Amino acid sequence: MSGEEKIVAQILERYPFLEGKITIQRRQRIIMPPLSREKFEDVFKYVVDEVGFHRFHLVIGVDDGEDLGFIYALSNEENIVLLLKQKAPKELPYIKSVCSVFPNALWHERELVDLFGAQVEDLPPGPTYPLPDGWPAGNYPMRKEWKVEYFDKETMTYNPPAEKTPETASDDKAKEAAK
Amino acid sequence: MSDNSKRITIPIGPQHPALKEPGCFTITLEGEKVVNAVVGVGYNHRGLEKACESRTYIQDLYIIERVCGICSHTHSTAFCQGVEELVGVEISPRAKFIRVIMAELERLHSHLLWLGVAAHEIGFDTLFMYSWRDRELVLDMLAMLGGNRVNYGINTLGGVRRDITPEMKELIHKTLNIVEEQNKYYIDLALHETTLAARLSGIGKLSHEDAIKYGAVGPVARASMVKDDIRVSEPYAAYDQIPVKVVTDDHCDVFGRAVVRVLEIMESISMIRFALDNMPDGDLAVKFPRKVPAGEVFSRTEAPRGEDTHYIRGNGTDKPDRVRVRAASEANWHGMQHMLEGDYLADVPIIIAAIDPCYSCTDRAFIVKDLDHGDQRVWDWQSLKRYSVDWYKKRGFDASKIKLAERRI
Repeated sequence: MSGEEKIVAQILERYPFLEGKITIQRRQRIIMPPLSREKFEDVFKYVVDEVGFHRFHLVIGVDDGEDLGFIYALSNEENIVLLLKQKAPKELPYIKSVCSVFPNALWHERELVDLFGAQVEDLPPGPTYPLPDGWPAGNYPMRKEWKVEYFDKETMTYNPPAEKTPETASDDKAKEAAK
Repeated sequence: MSDNSKRITIPIGPQHPALKEPGCFTITLEGEKVVNAVVGVGYNHRGLEKACESRTYIQDLYIIERVCGICSHTHSTAFCQGVEELVGVEISPRAKFIRVIMAELERLHSHLLWLGVAAHEIGFDTLFMYSWRDRELVLDMLAMLGGNRVNYGINTLGGVRRDITPEMKELIHKTLNIVEEQNKYYIDLALHETTLAARLSGIGKLSHEDAIKYGAVGPVARASMVKDDIRVSEPYAAYDQIPVKVVTDDHCDVFGRAVVRVLEIMESISMIRFALDNMPDGDLAVKFPRKVPAGEVFSRTEAPRGEDTHYIRGNGTDKPDRVRVRAASEANWHGMQHMLEGDYLADVPIIIAAIDPCYSCTDRAFIVKDLDHGDQRVWDWQSLKRYSVDWYKKRGFDASKIKLAERRI
């Protein structure tokens, strides 16, 4: 049994509901399925404290449509990388900071706040990162619906085209007919 | 003197003569001692990851190469091998060796650059000029191989774009002899020059435990006895076929980081020589599809500054769904506050420089505007060099009389 298989077996023994959902992508790569916040926090604590994933590389934000995904890259003494995933609804993207366990998560979590609009509980106070001062509130540029062409760098405003209501749509049809 | 009223907080940066890149360090002092430091970065954020999502993989390769002016090859290698893994393509053994040779030449120029910057920060400008002079030899080799001093454009999806000819190989061997000879002097300097040791020892302390705790990578981690190197722990390209010796040091301070880097220069020279002599024949690149299957990959390389990680998620089209780059400097910032606290204000620039934070290098072609005559020309590197020599000659300093030319190949 390889080192990766032993790790997966250890995780499955504790969390049988993950059976068939953990992937050994190749040597030194294990990928976990996306978990809800409650399950994630428990599994995260377990893999760090009991399975030996002591090193934190980064957390990656992804836009999955209805949800935001957060992928935590951890590794152990054998340099096996575990991608541990958490998901949260885009409307209420609440996650808990892991800075108390890994202080080097600080900048990565601040980035999730700025670029994805994640609400990170227990995030230590400090400067924002990486967006500049004066960035318009509620604009999260790494979300798929945010389009760079609608952003005006001079005025620092986001100006998407107005959504078409039934009335404006009928006006457009009338204009086309007139042409 | 722990009275708060005697503390003073000063901002250093984002523009400051002691720092060559835009970072803001809010330093709280008690007398001359740093009691607290808050690091503010993000001034260089260019939205490259967002840009990658709206471009094809091959277009992204050129964006990714520009993440860093110094570690450009290692970033493009991380990206290429990630996309190649997603597609399931195995590149040729020769292409793997060429990637390694470029990566180690890049490490040489990066470490020599760092040595110069560090020497300048401590007022040792002679060493700064020596090491940057020698770095020019390495940049000449990189320019010969890739056609450019930085952003070489060697990598492509499925292999490399340029070959190394027997003539190039011979020239690299000859040039490496000179760089090696010079580096022996730097090693002697780093290990035995008392002023250098006195200036660098005991500052910017990061214990072995703290290096792990704050996720330090590369020479910063290795100078705290963390034997961590992706070239060994997860060999990529041709590193599994080339002897790699991981250099570590137990000083846990700026001095240790200097020692690790100068010793790593020797290791890189050995690796380049080995790779040149054992490079297999074969194609440079294999055919690569335009569309990349859906899936995700986490790719790692060892940049001169430490571990680079690239996360790439494909969605079955010719454009990626997500690209996330974490450069080595991003990992090393986390321990900075800890390294600065307890040290003197005068040591702040060298402690910051000791993690080798990134900043851009210049291109080889310049647009020079002559304000007196309204003339505008594009000058290549050689013409600019000639202009510089003539400019000094007119002012009574003839650089051509200095016997540097015989060192050149």
